Amino acid sequence: MDIPATIPHALVILPHALREKAGNQPSVEVSGHTVREIIAALDHDYPGLGFSLCYETGELRPYVNVFLDRENIRYLQGLDTPLRHGATIHILQSVAGG
Amino acid sequence: MGSNTTFSRGTVLVLVGTKRGLFLLNSRDRERWEVTATGLAGRRIFYATLDQRTGHRMFAADNGDFFGAFLRYSDDFGQTWQEPEQGIQFPEASEQKLENIWIIEPGRSSEPGTLYAGVDPASLWISSDSGVHWSMNDGLANHPTRSRWEPGAGGLCLHSIIVDPTNAARMWVGISAVGCMRTDDGGQNWGFANKNVRADFLPEKYPEFGQCIHRMVQHPTQPDVLYQQNHCGIYKSINAGDDWIDIQHNLPSEFGFPIALDAHHPDTVFVVVENPAGRHNVSEQFTVYRTQDGGERWQPLTEGLPSGAGVSLGVLRHGMCADTLDPCGVYVGTNTGQVFASHDRGDSWSLIADFLPPVYSVNAIVIE
Repeated sequence: MDIPATIPHALVILPHALREKAGNQPSVEVSGHTVREIIAALDHDYPGLGFSLCYETGELRPYVNVFLDRENIRYLQGLDTPLRHGATIHILQSVAGG
Repeated sequence: MGSNTTFSRGTVLVLVGTKRGLFLLNSRDRERWEVTATGLAGRRIFYATLDQRTGHRMFAADNGDFFGAFLRYSDDFGQTWQEPEQGIQFPEASEQKLENIWIIEPGRSSEPGTLYAGVDPASLWISSDSGVHWSMNDGLANHPTRSRWEPGAGGLCLHSIIVDPTNAARMWVGISAVGCMRTDDGGQNWGFANKNVRADFLPEKYPEFGQCIHRMVQHPTQPDVLYQQNHCGIYKSINAGDDWIDIQHNLPSEFGFPIALDAHHPDTVFVVVENPAGRHNVSEQFTVYRTQDGGERWQPLTEGLPSGAGVSLGVLRHGMCADTLDPCGVYVGTNTGQVFASHDRGDSWSLIADFLPPVYSVNAIVIE
């Protein structure tokens, strides 16, 4: 008998600039097998949030950093990085400007 | 800065888009000005406008540093803002990415719910429900030369949108560095309108397209009369852009960005021209130039404008405008955070705001 795989659940901590789009919540809980699915779930629950993180092409914006349990996903498998249950995701803006 | 409230009829409201926020300047007499911040504090605002055809809906081009570009609108003079239900986003299949929103223009008075927006990468977006839903104009997006359009230093930006108030099928757009384009069939097909406009930076100096148009405005009562500031000169067309006449004449530089018209004296045009290398005033005197004969002769306007060693002010393409009063007010915002205003058609100037972030745009509206 096939046992359906449960979808990993993650806590996503949002930057101040994006909290208004999530009902002023500092963090939200969503499910997904990969970071890409997590972003899709965020956009489903809070329409428009996904476009703040990714271009129309699906590519992560250059000054958006996503950390999965303290590791920048750019140095893992990018948006295809798989999640484990109970993961914590930090979304941060780059240190940029002058 | 005080909190913002609504403004009484006849108030002149100048919407100032800056590198760090949208500000409002308001005055009843155009001599004493009040500066107020809006709910878009800290945001990178390329342009803002107020649509008074169906109320007082304010629109802003909010081009964030980190989290994308968004068109926003406000029904309380900028205190709170909403995003459209269907905003400006390219279809995923187009493989295009929205870089910046450059301009938002209300449509004709006969189409009160219609607004237009121009963005980088160059495309025209239309809303027919006062900004709640936006869609892309396919005629321009699928132009057969599209793959050969090259960006200017500011990107491949559609920055000027002009509708013909007398002809619902005709409008113009200005794209840097493509040039002027015109449709005569309501946006299904677009043609180039760049004859006699130079492109000194290309091997062919007068190409069909590839001109670096900086800003384009329209004569208020003669829709076929257009003016443009270009990377390579200042031009006038008297035939809807079929061809253009170089009107630089005695201006000290062919290079500048903004251009504005006096609605009641439409042969009166204002420009700021710059040193093309430094992109600031040509001499030590910051100067606005005015023609009162449609570009035959230009007069330097300096009374009240700063001068001296080190005075180096730049004005971007949306950084100058005129109001619709008579005599008209003229407004200039600088990349050093000042806004200068004249209430007498440029004869004299005063500083009406200082210490703002670098100014991207000014847009003067008389409250109805």
